[in-house]
Amino acid sequence: MTPIAPVLITGLAFHAEPPPADAGEYEPAVGTSREEKEILATLEDKAAAKTASDYQHIVWAYGILWALFAAYGLFLWRRSARLRADVDALRQALGSEARGGPRA
Amino acid sequence: MKRKSELVVPLLFLAAAPLVVYSVQRVFLHTPNERTMGTAFKIFFFHVPMGWLCMLMALISGIAAYVQLRRRSRTAGAVALAAAEIGFLGGLGVLLTGPIWGHATWGTPWTGDARQVTTALLWLVIAAYLLLRHFGQHASERLAAALAIFGAVNVPLIYYAVKLWKTTHPTTGVVAKLPPEMWATFWPGLSALLLVSFGLFAIRARQLVLASELDEAYVRLEDSRA
Repeated sequence: MTPIAPVLITGLAFHAEPPPADAGEYEPAVGTSREEKEILATLEDKAAAKTASDYQHIVWAYGILWALFAAYGLFLWRRSARLRADVDALRQALGSEARGGPRA
Repeated sequence: MKRKSELVVPLLFLAAAPLVVYSVQRVFLHTPNERTMGTAFKIFFFHVPMGWLCMLMALISGIAAYVQLRRRSRTAGAVALAAAEIGFLGGLGVLLTGPIWGHATWGTPWTGDARQVTTALLWLVIAAYLLLRHFGQHASERLAAALAIFGAVNVPLIYYAVKLWKTTHPTTGVVAKLPPEMWATFWPGLSALLLVSFGLFAIRARQLVLASELDEAYVRLEDSRA
């Protein structure tokens, strides 16, 4: 005669549900590993530094351009002042000429 | 009361002022970074307009110098010189911002690229023209005009340099392929630069004509005294 107890116990064991997820057992994390996270962080730092340095490049380039135009504007302004002085001198010379004044 | 022509220059500067502010805030705050070049690509928004300005002014200077040679026109001579001065500024701008951009993206400021070399050549021709006009004797004006014409001939060479030779420089079709948000940044910046440049160009051309008329008046005065 077959003993019933071991058969029942084995059957119950096979039908047993797996333990619930929060049973405190180890579960491997799905996603990025620690090394990957560290590599990402390093790359992000490098990218941030590159962005900051590139912004410096842009500000320099932009500053140089408008400084060039400002310098040229200043040159034109001074040139205008000199021309105005020349025109005034010519007017004076013509005025004295018309009055028959001294010929310089 | 001011003549209508005298109002043109203030109007040009007035129109440029809001565009300058708008384009600066668009470049720095609202334009996304380009995928491969990142932030450094933003130099494009003033490097390219400077290049176009340099080429446009070299063309104007060359054509005006040709007219000056043919008709001995004083106004054409003034226009050629004023355009060359603005072209010199544009060339200097493009030759300074290009290497800054190159340093950020290629890792080197100068690669000896065909477009870089032809642009540098144009700038040197303009510089030579300016030196001749400012320090040359009266007879050197014809040689100076020939130099300006040579500079204008160099312009198509700059444009086609990226098509004719293998280069690292971006091709000429970049502007046409810009996405809408970059397109909306590029055109106000270009318009602002052109408005300011044409304002300065008009002032300078008028100054040169006036200076030449003044010289003539002084000579006539001296003749009448003699």
